[in-house]
Formats: sequence, C-alpha cells, structure tokens
Amino acid sequence: MAMSRDEIFAEVQEVLVDALGLDDDEVTEDATLMGDLGAESIDFLDIVFRLEKSFGIKVPREELFPAESMMNNPEYVSGGKLTVKGLAEFKARMPHTDFSTFEANPDINKLPDLFTVDSIVNFIEQKLAAA
Amino acid sequence: MLKKMLENSNILTKIPSMKFILIDKIVSFELGSTLTATKSVSLAEEYLADHFPVFPVLPGVLLLEGLIESASWLVRKTQDFSNSMVLLQEAKNVRYNSFAAPGMKIQYTVTAKSIDDKSSIFKGIGVCGDTQIVSANLVLRHFNLAEKNDRLARTDRTLIDSMKQRWNLLSGN
Amino acid sequence: MVFFLGHDMRWIWIDKFIEFNSGRSAVSLKNVTLAEEHLHDHFPSFPVMPECLMIEAMAQTAGILVGEARDFQEKVILAKIKNARFFDYVVPGDTIILHAEIESISAEAASTTGKIMRGDDRIAEISLMFSHIDNNLAGKQFPEENFVFTDTFNSLIDGFVTKKASAEQAP
Repeated sequence: MAMSRDEIFAEVQEVLVDALGLDDDEVTEDATLMGDLGAESIDFLDIVFRLEKSFGIKVPREELFPAESMMNNPEYVSGGKLTVKGLAEFKARMPHTDFSTFEANPDINKLPDLFTVDSIVNFIEQKLAAA
Repeated sequence: MLKKMLENSNILTKIPSMKFILIDKIVSFELGSTLTATKSVSLAEEYLADHFPVFPVLPGVLLLEGLIESASWLVRKTQDFSNSMVLLQEAKNVRYNSFAAPGMKIQYTVTAKSIDDKSSIFKGIGVCGDTQIVSANLVLRHFNLAEKNDRLARTDRTLIDSMKQRWNLLSGN
Repeated sequence: MVFFLGHDMRWIWIDKFIEFNSGRSAVSLKNVTLAEEHLHDHFPSFPVMPECLMIEAMAQTAGILVGEARDFQEKVILAKIKNARFFDYVVPGDTIILHAEIESISAEAASTTGKIMRGDDRIAEISLMFSHIDNNLAGKQFPEENFVFTDTFNSLIDGFVTKKASAEQAP
C-alpha cells in the first residue's frame, strides 16, 4: 500500500510536532528544522527514531542528516565554505535536498537552512519507493 | 500564656533546612506572565561528588527543578498563595544543550502561557550568559490538601505560611 | 588507589533492580523514607518525592539498561526528557516500582519508555532520550574514563549481568 506525498507529509508533521513540542501550523513544508523549528542536535536523533517507528523503515542518521560529521573534514569544508569536493559529496549523500540556491554561495553557516520539512518528506518518499 | 509565647517564638517552629531548593534568588517577575530567577552552581553541592566523579556538573533533573520552582513561584505569587501545593503534572521536550559546571550562574526565565486556578502551562529556559543550558515545556497542577481531606486544612495553612516566608527570602523583600 | 569520600547526599535514586532483561527492559525499586533529607524542604509539613527525582530514578534505571546493552562502552547521559507525566504524588512509606524499556538504540543514542507504579496505582509515564557521548557531542572534551557508570551502579546490577562497567576503559 503506497503512501501518497500528502500522507507522508501528515505523518512527518506529527513526528516533528511531538519531537519539538510545536503546533501543527508551525510545521510547514518549507520550514527549516534548525532555524524555523528550533531543532537541536539531540532532536535530530529523536526525529530519526520516531520516523523509523512511524514508517517502519531504517533511517540511518548519516543519510538523513549527514552534515555534522562532514563539517569537520578539511577536504569538504575550507574557509567557512564547502569545497568543490564537499559540495559534490553533500549532493551525493543528500539526494532529498535542493542545493540550487545554496550552490551560488556554499557558506557552511547556511547549511542548516537546507534541512527543511520538505527534504524529510522527500527522503521518506525515496526510501519507501526503494523498499 | 507560656504556650502562646512559645508558639510565637521559633522554638516550636522548625527552622527550615534549605537543601532541596534549586534556585537562589528571584530576580524579577510580572504577575501572571514571567519570572526570572538565578542559581549559582558550586562545588560545595554534595551530589556533584557523584555526578560525576572527575566531571562535576549539575544533574539535568535539577536544572529542570530550577525551572519547575521558578514557574511554581510565579503561580503562588500570582494567586496570592491560595493553593498550598504546586506540583509538576507534565514536562515535555526538556532539552539539555550544555553542561552547568561549578562557578557558573544560571538564569532561569519562565513564561506563562496560562495560569488557571488549578492548572498552569509554561515555557522555560535556562541560560548562562549567551549559552543555553536547558529548555522545557511545563504543565503544573495546584491544589489544597483539604480538597480531598478536610483534616489537612491546617497543613495547608502551615505550608502556605512556609512558602510565603520562603518567597520573602528568595525575592529579597 | 581509590579514596572514598563520605558525603551526605548520594546521587542514587533507586534501591535495587528486581528484573533485568539485557537489551530490552528492566524493573527497579525505590523506597521513599522520611529519613531522606530533601523531603523536609519538599515540602515543609507535607513531604512528597519531588517529580524531578522520580524522573532521575527512571533515568538511572533506563540509563543502566541502555549502558549495559552496549557493554558500558560509552558514557550514557540523559539528553532529553521527551515526556514525563505524573498522575499522583508519592509520600514517605511508599515504595515505587520503575519499569523501563528500550524503544530504539543506535551507536549515538537511545530512546526509552517507562512507567512508575505504586502498588496498582500508576504514578508516572516517562520517556527519555540518552546520548552516547563518546560517539556524539562533537568537539567537547571529556575525561577518558567512564565516569558515568560508577561502582555504586555496578553493585546494583550484581547478580543480574555478567559484564560490568569498569572505571578505566581501554581507549
């Protein structure tokens, strides 16, 4: 029984509402996890566990939110920006995320802005399709 | 008459110990709205020897207690101490961002979403300078013991008096 | 050489384990007694066990369960209280039974659920998240040894598990 994108979004929304203690209407598709919704490091882990439970799939944290371990790697990050190699690596690891605006100025401080509710919905959609 | 003298002095009143109080000072408040309190962390606090050996930090639940106490004081003062008991009903999304170590001074700020007679809802945050230490959503419940057992009406009065005294001590008036 | 310094307030909020199913669930017990000093402040003339200490009792029960599930290789610390709901208060003379279950566990973190009972009365429902800070918490400096799981905790699980935490872990 395939889930529609709307159904996936509704489920993801509920996960974020519970994990972050927010109201339904705060969790919009384009809301950024860290900036708009106030998610912190431990919340990412909480969200991953809840998504696994909700959708019955494995969600390796490194796949959904790979940034943290890569941020400290000098091959990927230099002078506060992603290197060419870094950008390629991020794009490869995060096919669920839209890098088009970020590419023009790959400032690592702007990286958290890429983690939107939308990118989680994309990720789940892709995972369910592959299952 | 002797009995009255004794009652009026502190001999029969237990001088309160002050071990389980997780704020030091109430800094400011706005009735029904917000309250700010501080807590200084010191190596003299006994539980730090266990938490942890070689790495003393204030236990997370005691950071939560600082927020609970701050919110409770705002309820008590706003309601003019009408309810003797103020307890935590629910704590949600309590997040620990940084450790609180000896030498640090934590500032707790609680904001009431609502304060009704028997129930209140708060958002709370604890910071040390620019560093966030803890944040939480709280629901408190408040009541008098006499509501369930009218023989405890006197206990309610004694407890309320203790809380009023404690408020004076913590708020500096 | 180990020095034992006696101190008044030990930071241990459970008395013993009753059940221990490695990697899955555990049940512990705590007696609440007037001899506990902090009760005299909470509150004067009507002592009740502070809710935050009931959360800590659950955190210690669940934390040991999580730590043991990974052979105490990491320091397991409480990172988030997802939800803690209380239905009644607990007074001196009560015995509370804490039931904890591992919900999810990975190299970086664990999620647990649990309830606290007093006889047949449900006192609380508590769900927690632990962080494994040797694998997480980028950039922060910690001492090498596993300071979280001390001898006190080891003595609680005596007889239940064969692997114990040791003060010094091989790096």
